[in-house]
Amino acid sequence: MTAASRWAGLAALLALWQGLALAGDGWLLAGPVQVAEWLWSNPGPTGRATAATLGNAAWGFLLGNGAAIGLAGIAALWPRALTLVAGLALVVFCLPLIATGPILRVLMGPGDGPQIVLAALAVYYTTLIPLLAGLRAMPQAWLDLVQSYGRGRWAELVHVRARAALPYLLAGLQISAPAAILGAMVGEFTGAERGLGVLTIRFTRDLDVPALWAAATLAAGLSMAVYAGIGWLGRRALSDPPPVILAAPRPVRGSPARKAAQAALLIGVVLVLWWAAVAGLNPFFARRPPDVAAALLWAPDAAATRATLGAAVAQTAGLALPGYAAGLALGAGLAVLLTLRPGLAAVTVPLAVALRSIPIVTTAPLVVLLLGRGATGTLTLVALMVFFPAFVACQQGLAQAPGPILDLFRSHASGPLRQMLHVRIPAMLPALFASARMTVPAAILAATVIEWLATGQGLGNLMALSASVSDYDMLWLTMVAATLLSALLYWAVAWAEGRVLAVMATEQVRP
Amino acid sequence: MAEIACTGVSKLYGDSILAVDGIDLTFVSGRTTALLGPSGCGKSTLLRLIAGLEEPTAGTVSIAGDPPAALCRRGGLSIAFQDPCLLPWLTVARNVALGRKLARQAPDPQRVDQLINLVGLGGFQNARPAALSGGMRQRAAIARALITRPQVLLLDEPFGALDALTRRQLAQDLPPLWQEQDATALLVTHSVDEAVMLADRIVVLSPRPARVIADLAVPLPRPRDPETPAFRRLAGDVLAVLARGGEQAQSLAAQ
Repeated sequence: MTAASRWAGLAALLALWQGLALAGDGWLLAGPVQVAEWLWSNPGPTGRATAATLGNAAWGFLLGNGAAIGLAGIAALWPRALTLVAGLALVVFCLPLIATGPILRVLMGPGDGPQIVLAALAVYYTTLIPLLAGLRAMPQAWLDLVQSYGRGRWAELVHVRARAALPYLLAGLQISAPAAILGAMVGEFTGAERGLGVLTIRFTRDLDVPALWAAATLAAGLSMAVYAGIGWLGRRALSDPPPVILAAPRPVRGSPARKAAQAALLIGVVLVLWWAAVAGLNPFFARRPPDVAAALLWAPDAAATRATLGAAVAQTAGLALPGYAAGLALGAGLAVLLTLRPGLAAVTVPLAVALRSIPIVTTAPLVVLLLGRGATGTLTLVALMVFFPAFVACQQGLAQAPGPILDLFRSHASGPLRQMLHVRIPAMLPALFASARMTVPAAILAATVIEWLATGQGLGNLMALSASVSDYDMLWLTMVAATLLSALLYWAVAWAEGRVLAVMATEQVRP
Repeated sequence: MAEIACTGVSKLYGDSILAVDGIDLTFVSGRTTALLGPSGCGKSTLLRLIAGLEEPTAGTVSIAGDPPAALCRRGGLSIAFQDPCLLPWLTVARNVALGRKLARQAPDPQRVDQLINLVGLGGFQNARPAALSGGMRQRAAIARALITRPQVLLLDEPFGALDALTRRQLAQDLPPLWQEQDATALLVTHSVDEAVMLADRIVVLSPRPARVIADLAVPLPRPRDPETPAFRRLAGDVLAVLARGGEQAQSLAAQ
């Protein structure tokens, strides 16, 4: 796609947006002209909010990515630590920002701490996973070369793995930059003094439609700018474009007993870290694992707690799962359609990149505004969160179809549809599964955000409710439940992925 | 002196794939030995066992009385793989110099230049691997293997990707480089002409699992010309041994 067609696509989108705004009654949608006017006449507050959000996001970006790089290095030097590192990373990534935010606010008090920590938590996984893949993305012969000189894992890391992983690191950093802004904004939702998140909450309460769309546009613009900026830096640093992240989860080797031992170790480490994190803090809000277990299992009102929590989990899962499946299907479907009809890409790809960059906390109020507070809004938001990563990954996956095999099909006069079915879609599967895994926590996050902001149901609502009435047992329980829900769904997808790729793409499941 | 001794070396992959079966061989310093056998017979596996990249299932490999890893750690072993395995982000000169870096030897830009010129890549010092043909990459990999002046040099089908003229030229130019430093050189190949051209000794291996079916001396003076009657006669004899080995293996399999 040329630069000219990209700009034309962007212009067409802006025109469509303005047209829709003009056609509406002004209560739902503010057009780009109105947004620009509002931003022009309110430079002070928006400037200060933007600076605050950007500063917190930058600190979180540095800390989260620093942690990811350190942990990936540990896993490269001591492969036995990989299971634990990847497992812990998953658990931390599955922590629902909506519940972590209030807890961090209580633990850290006023100031920028929660925003920075949430931004760090939001970026950590999106960098770690590509980096772990990149540190293994090389022919065995390169490692044999190092080994043949009697050198060990450190030399492998310095001479081969680190440089081979660089494109993957840059791809991860690019994805994580908008995530840092999302994390900072969620932190601002939990009681910060300034920032775009604070403005978004205020404008949602005031039903100030132009201001809400202006804040959303600003947040989206920032996210797109950092996404594009890191992409630009990456292109300057590397002569080859960043690769598609295709690595399937490394199969856990060994007997069922060994796997069970690894799972037990992971749970043990999580519990110890939890305990360590709240040690020395007021137990009224800093609940420890036994307090939470008691509230769920043997406290006098444990049965009522279980019933409330169970109902909330069922409501969240009931909407998140269909939305997640729909998002994946739509993402893969559109990618297939655009490969068959590339002319449509001029409009859809800029839209995909734009929506991919917009923080969910700004999308959610807009979706509520447009679709209401019912199940449709929740389903749409979850599908939106899943749709774009799946679409982008699938599009890249479809482009990975091996050229010689396509040539073979062409030499037999096979049409694009047959090539799609027999070559491109099988080549796309690793990318589809990779995005399916990565978007699991995003789907749960989307469902809890909209429940928290709008629908008054499910885990998100329970989190908001328990935070507001200082029911810290329930708040910690909702966090554990949302984390477990994400982790279970993630492992289910990883299990299916392992089974499918073992048949369809054996080279992807080799450790 | 880096004498290589393989004693009863076998390698089994999984439960059923026997790649190498009871190899007893000794390779002395300053001599070049070709391991010759059909594709997939286990020659490269034997080379990897000697390089210490894999552990034998049975038997032992030693170099100068120690496990291969000891010489590797001293930077005394170099291997040129079948796949040139140049690092794509390094220039040709840096790829060649990497050998010294990995072997913890001081940089020697003059020798890097000299070897690059010798393998016919003069002028490509600053090119990246992507800009080279398969044969040129292979030559850069050979230069990298030689840059450390190894005591043991292992070459896995090193000339496979080269055109006939370059192959002949390198076969004339390269052996003196490792012979002058008294290196023990092992060359894996399936080309009879290449084996006769380069080696002082040819060990013929059976189809998988690799077993020694003949151990022949190459009593031809250097430089060798593949068109001479003596060369052709010896090549014919070796080919006949190789063919007999294949037939024996087939009849054994049929039984």
